[in-house]
Amino acid sequence: MNPSTPPRLRSLLHGLLLLALFLGLAAPASAFPIFARKYQTSCVTCHSVYPKLNPFGEAFRLNGYRMPKETEDLIKQKPVSLGSEAYKRVWPDAVWPNELPGNAPVAVNVKMANVYTSSTDASGGKTIVHNDFQFPQEVNLFAAGTLGEHMSFMAELTHAEGPDGGSGTEIEHARLGFESLFGPEHAFNVRMGKFAPNLYAGFQEMWLMTDNGVDSLFNYNPVGFKGGTGVITDGAGIVSLPARVRGIEVYGVLNHRFFYTFGFSNKIGPGSGVATNTGDGSTQGTPGNFGANNHKDIYLRLDYKFGGMGLDGDTEGVQMPPENWREKSFRIGVLALKGNGTNIDFIATDANGPILDPSDNPYHMQDTSYTRTGLFASWTYSDLNVFGVYLSGKDTLETRSADGLTLYATDDRTYKAYFVQADYVLAPPFHLSARYEKLTPGDTTVQPVKVSNYNFTYLAAANLKFMLEYNKSEQAGVGTNKSINTVIRAAF
Amino acid sequence: MSKTLLLTALGLGAALCAQAGDIHGKVTCKGVRDSADAVVYVAAIPGKTFAAPAAHAKMDQKNLVFIPHVMAVLAGTTVDYLNSDAVLHNVFSPDACCDKFNLGTWPQGQSKSYTFKKECAATLLCKVHPEMEGFVVTSPTPYFAVTKADGSFTIPNVPDGAYTVKVWHPKCKPSQKAVTVAGATAAAFEIAK
Repeated sequence: MNPSTPPRLRSLLHGLLLLALFLGLAAPASAFPIFARKYQTSCVTCHSVYPKLNPFGEAFRLNGYRMPKETEDLIKQKPVSLGSEAYKRVWPDAVWPNELPGNAPVAVNVKMANVYTSSTDASGGKTIVHNDFQFPQEVNLFAAGTLGEHMSFMAELTHAEGPDGGSGTEIEHARLGFESLFGPEHAFNVRMGKFAPNLYAGFQEMWLMTDNGVDSLFNYNPVGFKGGTGVITDGAGIVSLPARVRGIEVYGVLNHRFFYTFGFSNKIGPGSGVATNTGDGSTQGTPGNFGANNHKDIYLRLDYKFGGMGLDGDTEGVQMPPENWREKSFRIGVLALKGNGTNIDFIATDANGPILDPSDNPYHMQDTSYTRTGLFASWTYSDLNVFGVYLSGKDTLETRSADGLTLYATDDRTYKAYFVQADYVLAPPFHLSARYEKLTPGDTTVQPVKVSNYNFTYLAAANLKFMLEYNKSEQAGVGTNKSINTVIRAAF
Repeated sequence: MSKTLLLTALGLGAALCAQAGDIHGKVTCKGVRDSADAVVYVAAIPGKTFAAPAAHAKMDQKNLVFIPHVMAVLAGTTVDYLNSDAVLHNVFSPDACCDKFNLGTWPQGQSKSYTFKKECAATLLCKVHPEMEGFVVTSPTPYFAVTKADGSFTIPNVPDGAYTVKVWHPKCKPSQKAVTVAGATAAAFEIAK
């Protein structure tokens, strides 16, 4: 932080950093034993190692939590009728009939971690925390299910406890889905609410087997005096790719193998801004609450899957092995997101902290136009799944006075990030994962961020797993962070 | 008993069976939990009519459920709907084949009636409790049966002859096929949603 940073501002930034750290711990963790109960089937029907989905699980998810070609006899928990099917014939003289899940569609995930961290700053100073028992690190309460033939829902309430004992509760997901509304089955689905968009299908945290998410994609803040400087903290980089959004999304699977999605959304996240600028010099809104402007992000993704099970679960003409995590397939997709952060003020910073104007007030910045374009690929060959994303970002950054009224400069900054991850099933209970990430920030005066992540998972039971994960993040001139997490997660 | 007498008795028995056989078999409803409540019946026989029974059939409404869930009756049969619950019930049908009747609402212990005049698969609903549903399937012949949970059925006393046999199920598409009855005759049906 710049030595001339005013104390009040320093304290605000510290507060935001702690908040971001806390929210970073509240990583989405998606495993829904609700469906194990509903279908009386094991978690490994859909997950190779939860929350990572196998091909059948991905089809189940895209079908709105319904099995491919689902029939009534597959559902062991008889739903509660909210009206006889025949009422469809008398509508609008009666309410359209629907169904409720047979039992309360609730599940719990508990995650406990023993954390070892080591941080080395640019001058060689080292901070080590040995064996921090984060018991629990988080508890997730899930609700998910279907409401009749064309509706589904999912909600997640997460309570997380930070290393310092602080805790917080957040609604991470709350969405309604409307499936196969018209046209061929699976072709046209809509969902709305707070959710992880299908823009990230296959690589958002809630679908990864690793404990750490892909920070270089999701936790980079591109706003900075000369462009973004790197991964700031977990959860802080909501301007790069919003891990979750409040929005409306359309998606579908056509001809079994073509997947599309597009949506309109607000971003969600703590941000690193100060407030929403009303344009007349005053500010309003919660500091750092990015997305509180009139503009919506728009996004689009198009995928095609070659070989293996169809994205809707279709297996016609495909010879699938009995091991349900295996297949020979290749999926490729392109993704794009465009947004506008006009009137949302961020403090202008560089690698050393806020940049002050001659009056000792920090410059403010607005990201008035940003685009993200990326390429996703996933190759599965028997027990091995290699996947990754290449992402390119462009931001139009306006540097303004602290009151936001004076525009000093407009600059276009670009950054790029990629990761490649290999997951391998040694045997059904034993899984390995290795990931490499690289982020080249928009600020050309700073060095790239390189992240390595290695995971060994023992699936002790279909709903209980132990993970040993090593993560190393380094940026020349800034420092190195290492962590070894021993994690136990149970879903019930 | 002499050998001749025994053969005569067996031959006579066989002849009697042939005159009043049955149609038995199994209905398989694919994709639903079980194959109960399918109605199998002999379709209208050209040139033959059957008198409606004088006795009323009875369908109860108890614990917010139509009992039985599916009833098969001969055309012309009157069905009495009894309310055995302490709450009000109503019975109506959205189906044109039974004139979309609506019997109104009545309290515990009382019943109302409707006469099913022609072949019909009538859905019965209760406006007070939308989840309640029952079915009355009206057969043009007295040769009908409702399947058990395993899908099995027996239609007794069907005269020998060639018939069209229809099958109906609350959740599966109806079907029909030709069946020639000669004594005890087996017939299987496979239907789906």
